[in-house]
Amino acid sequence: MSGHGIRRGIATLVTLAVIAPTLSAQGNDPLAKLDSASRRVVQALIDSAKTEGLPDQPLVSKAQEGVSKHAAGPLIARVVRTVFLSLREARAVLGERANRDELTAGAAALQAGIPATAIIDLRQAGHGKSITVPLVVMADLVSRGVPRDTASRAILQLWMQGAGEADLMGLSQSVGQDILSGAAPADALLSRARKVPIRLPPAKVPE
Amino acid sequence: MTESDLAPRDPDIEWIAREAKRPVALSTGLRARIMDAVRATPLPARPRRGLGWLVSPRPLALSPLGTSLLAAGLVGIGVLVGLAVTHDGESPAAPVPTVASATTHQDAPSVLVHEFVLQAPNAAHVSLVGDFNGWNAAATPMTRTDDGKWIVKVPLPAGRHVYAFEVDGAGGTKFMPDPDGLRAPDDGFGPSSVVLVGQGSST
Repeated sequence: MSGHGIRRGIATLVTLAVIAPTLSAQGNDPLAKLDSASRRVVQALIDSAKTEGLPDQPLVSKAQEGVSKHAAGPLIARVVRTVFLSLREARAVLGERANRDELTAGAAALQAGIPATAIIDLRQAGHGKSITVPLVVMADLVSRGVPRDTASRAILQLWMQGAGEADLMGLSQSVGQDILSGAAPADALLSRARKVPIRLPPAKVPE
Repeated sequence: MTESDLAPRDPDIEWIAREAKRPVALSTGLRARIMDAVRATPLPARPRRGLGWLVSPRPLALSPLGTSLLAAGLVGIGVLVGLAVTHDGESPAAPVPTVASATTHQDAPSVLVHEFVLQAPNAAHVSLVGDFNGWNAAATPMTRTDDGKWIVKVPLPAGRHVYAFEVDGAGGTKFMPDPDGLRAPDDGFGPSSVVLVGQGSST
């Protein structure tokens, strides 16, 4: 092999070694399939979340969901922005000490239309307990067609009466089955909520 | 008696031998000029050490096989570095195994195996997609049982996860939420489901 050939070969190898990590990183880039304009918007939102101490993974995941479902880039950017704003509002409502699950559940509840006041009441009634489950159940019920005020009031009352996480999960499942069977969503919830056992002493049950 | 005594004597060789043995008379001036020239000649450079040795050019000979091995090594190192570091410099999340586990168990204090089930007897293929696999349909295919259910068991970190099923059927590919799961609000991409691993669920 001539000296010129060796030099050319080594130059090619070095170039390959330098660009290989870049090519590989692009393969891991969750936003690689977005158009450039939407990608810039999504990346800016992710950066903002990091700067504000909000979890950025829900934004990345939402963008990936949009790409997977073949949504248009502008729609993906719009939805990711909605999630970002919901996370920011959830943190304002739940406080700085809210964990990641509470924030994402609170953001989803707010997106479902649950009033911020109901979330604040839920937090205050929780006595330090995680309120991820009641938040998720609220959003679930609204997504199944239960009016948001009915859903938030019923779950808040059950939570204040000492209903456990398993009680709320079971309630959600029962209401879902009743709705599939033809019951009106609000009626299904109110009917099933009456059957959830009250676990606080009677003196502590709110009027 | 030596061998040379027996060899025939050639006049030319005899002359050359005589000339070679004749002492050469050098003038004292010539010796001085030669020594001056030797002294004026710079000493040869000493072999470089340290950084000079490292940066001094030298010929490099590589066989085609050696060149190929070097190429494979360099590219391999590059790929490994790329796999180890994501675009933003963070280590990627551990890949979610797609092989179903035989039993439900706790892998670690914060990781639990959750079984996803979908009744879809007419589906040709079903995949689980969610925030735990980057919504990648190729990452977590589900297995069909004899009674028309599609199942997969996935180890998940404790907490809230959003997911859906990608179902290939006669009507094409569609995403659908878990009929038996909690619903997440439809924010524009269609309905999806929520699982709370380790929190009041049946994980």
